[in-house]
Amino acid sequence: MDALFAGIEQLAFVRGLKASFVAYPIVNALHILSTGALLTSVWLMDLRIIGAFRSLPRAAFVALLRRVALCAFGGALVTGALLFSVRAREYAAMPVFLAKMGLILLAGVNFLAFVRHAKGGDEPAGGTVTVLAVLSLVLWTCVLFAGRFIGFLN
Amino acid sequence: MQSPFNGIRSVTLAAAAILAAGTAAYAHHGWSWTEDGFFELRGRITAIYIGNPHATLDVDVEGEAWRVEMAPPSRTIAAGFTEEVAKVGDEVTAIGNRSLDEKEKRMKAVRIIVGGKTYDVYSDRVPPA
Repeated sequence: MDALFAGIEQLAFVRGLKASFVAYPIVNALHILSTGALLTSVWLMDLRIIGAFRSLPRAAFVALLRRVALCAFGGALVTGALLFSVRAREYAAMPVFLAKMGLILLAGVNFLAFVRHAKGGDEPAGGTVTVLAVLSLVLWTCVLFAGRFIGFLN
Repeated sequence: MQSPFNGIRSVTLAAAAILAAGTAAYAHHGWSWTEDGFFELRGRITAIYIGNPHATLDVDVEGEAWRVEMAPPSRTIAAGFTEEVAKVGDEVTAIGNRSLDEKEKRMKAVRIIVGGKTYDVYSDRVPPA
């Protein structure tokens, strides 16, 4: 695993990113943009599922925000991988980084469980779906905090 | 039904409290995690990283592994400290501020002396001559 991470650090574009005064801050900003969009869409979507903003049609609102959330997650994944790549071995050894990866995994499992349970219509959400929506809020918010702490603990 | 925003507010407040408590103890951005007085470290370089998000040196001091943090790469390189001026095994002196946590072998350097040359990575913070 260490050899793999060391190999990532030696890739030409990763070495460029490591030394760049422009590219790295841009990637960093795009990661913030992605995580901001992800957290905003997750919060609005889950609050609607829990029962807020009842004047908005649930199915259409949730479908739109899910698309936004999935795109934002894709963006966060790509930019996050780039930020990770410049010091891959260092980050991979950090408990808070591993905790963040574990939390993303849990949030992903929670999403899959939600997709299995949600009926998608405009009828009020059942108990299980509400619990999963609350879990989603908590997990993604924890991911955000764990992510920010990576910059302060390394 | 109670407004869900009561829930949001409490989560936000809790999050802000956690963040405030956490940054006081752990921040490696900035200087809040370091002592005010200057600290000098002498040892042998075991690893050099000049890159984003900020440059670091790993230094062996009589068997203890220290992490010396420097400025972001733009500032570190502007101070003349590049990967070419030092190598693993070199004797190094780092002057700066050490972590408030005595158990933590970590400092933030404002001045690096290696190979008889002085590099002021935070020239505005170096000790008065």
